[in-house]
Amino acid sequence: MENLLTYSGIRNESIEQWKREGKKTVGTICCHVPGELLHAAGLLPVRLRGTGCTDDSEGEVWMSSFACSFARSCFEFLLNGTYDYLDGIVSSDGCSMATRIYDNYKYYKRNEDSTRFYLKDIGAPRLYNGKHAVPYYISELNELKKGVENHFGVTITEEKLKHSIEVFNETRSLIRELYELRMSDEPVITGEESLKITLASMTMPKEEFNRMFRDYLTELKTRKPLAGYRARLMLIGSAIDDPEYIKVIEDRGGLIVCDATCYGNRQLWEPVAYEGDAISSIANSYLSRTVCPRMCQVSTHNSLYEMIVGMVKDYKVDGIIYTKMKNCQVWGSENLYCEEDLKAANIPLLIVEREEIMTNAGQLAVRAEAFIEMVEKGDK
Amino acid sequence: MNPDIPDWRGGLVTAGVDIGSTSTQAVIMVDGQLYAYSSIRTGSDSPNSAMDAINIAMEGTGITSQDIDFTVGTGYGRVNVPIADKTVTEITCHAKGSNYIYGSSVRTLLDMGGQDCKAIHCDETGKVTSFIMNDKCAAGTGRGMEVIANLLSVPIEEIGDLSLNVDEEPNPLSTICVVFAKNELTALMRNGWPIEKVLASYCRAMAIRVVRLLERNGMEANFAITGGIAKNTGIVRRIEKMLGVEALTSELDPQIAGALGGALIAKTLVEKRK
Repeated sequence: MENLLTYSGIRNESIEQWKREGKKTVGTICCHVPGELLHAAGLLPVRLRGTGCTDDSEGEVWMSSFACSFARSCFEFLLNGTYDYLDGIVSSDGCSMATRIYDNYKYYKRNEDSTRFYLKDIGAPRLYNGKHAVPYYISELNELKKGVENHFGVTITEEKLKHSIEVFNETRSLIRELYELRMSDEPVITGEESLKITLASMTMPKEEFNRMFRDYLTELKTRKPLAGYRARLMLIGSAIDDPEYIKVIEDRGGLIVCDATCYGNRQLWEPVAYEGDAISSIANSYLSRTVCPRMCQVSTHNSLYEMIVGMVKDYKVDGIIYTKMKNCQVWGSENLYCEEDLKAANIPLLIVEREEIMTNAGQLAVRAEAFIEMVEKGDK
Repeated sequence: MNPDIPDWRGGLVTAGVDIGSTSTQAVIMVDGQLYAYSSIRTGSDSPNSAMDAINIAMEGTGITSQDIDFTVGTGYGRVNVPIADKTVTEITCHAKGSNYIYGSSVRTLLDMGGQDCKAIHCDETGKVTSFIMNDKCAAGTGRGMEVIANLLSVPIEEIGDLSLNVDEEPNPLSTICVVFAKNELTALMRNGWPIEKVLASYCRAMAIRVVRLLERNGMEANFAITGGIAKNTGIVRRIEKMLGVEALTSELDPQIAGALGGALIAKTLVEKRK
């Protein structure tokens, strides 16, 4: 059987095959760039990340040490050729750090022929409700659609979009099946493996992912339950795109059973309900998801917190590890609500700082191990 | 050696070895009572340091390593304790050990070790209920204090008392990064500050740093400090003043809390297996 996990890398055979067929790929930044729209144009959307970066010094030269290390690593990969298969980048204003990847890269390419590389940023509202939010997002998506059509010389028909929505919804329903397996009292899959799968889903052609992952799920269901773990943990935080990071925690005996992060199930959960037309359907669905503290309504209605607490219950979580990307504004300033609310709900919480380049594995390991000793059942 | 235990033979002998980044302690307990201990400098070879510490603790007791029923390794080098039957993190061990040293009423702990600093909450059994550690900085740690002691050529044991010998508390050092702090300290010396005032400034900065850590984890009475820095009065008095509480004291050496906790956990583990 082909191993799906080998497709979790930033560079992998499925992308190479895609390029050999003469087809185009577009990097996306943040979860408000609808992959459906690019897919409908015959493009391969690849969500940008910095997995496995070991040196972001060039990224730091451009973006300064103030930029989060995730953004610096992504930028480093853009500069050093890791992403040389891209034919464009579409960014949404998810957070200012991620937006700077786009800005800096646009500047970097300022003297190049713009017909050779597609660059576009779209806006996404930071409030869910309000009568202007959805219409604004729809107009941004329509502009993106027009831009993609012009640049790549294609026509994105309603039929194609409708089909793309179906393909992406299938991915979402398969990811849900994966998370149901993780919810089980006898889980068969580690958090590390699960992250590799969600990363693959954001990196390879969706049809191919769906086909391979269906088989993978069938195999998973026949696996023996994992043994020897001491606690069931949930991972929350921003751009955790590094399976090695999760491995450090799981090697200490804490099985990650669910997550609320950028690269887990978050953007792969709620299906897009087709109503009326595709663009409006995408806009409505994308804006009704609970994504991250970027959406500014935590003070009045903290749906992120409700979702996390709900998952703690459903997945029988013993404790939450809250990883804070250093200099992350959206998650870093979330303490006020999330941290206090979780403490008030008596959910054990470990807060750890994270940098994209994992130089502090030992620090993480001792914190994770002590946390596991704290929450594991059976007294010391 | 504990004179209240006339003979260890026939009792349950457990040990805890805490290999810290800077110092290593070994504790031997008989039936859950402290029997003997040692504290040495961690050398470049952690397994050797562990064995040296345990051998020194056993000296004169007649106990040999074969007589120890169960050993828990803890601390930074816990995986390097050759005779360990199990490893447990220093966070868990310090809470357990403090429960023994300071009694079951202790709820908030500050462990100030050689290379990190932890604020811990625990329950009446000494089980950790929450904790927080400093990230990536030698400030607020014993190692930082050593660097400053060396720079000023003051024996580390005297820093605390000297730093309290000032008429008025100076401003804290503006930076707490140990390397930059060295620069700032030399500048203060050049400006004619007496050594006491310089030390007061450094101790104050360090105390502010750990008080923030404690406040972040939440303060609950009763409060105790473990680790080598618990012996530094200049830090302890300042922390107490800022928090408005007095730290619990004990006749026992606060530096052995981790190893002691390890030996206590060893006892529980042996009893569970029976």
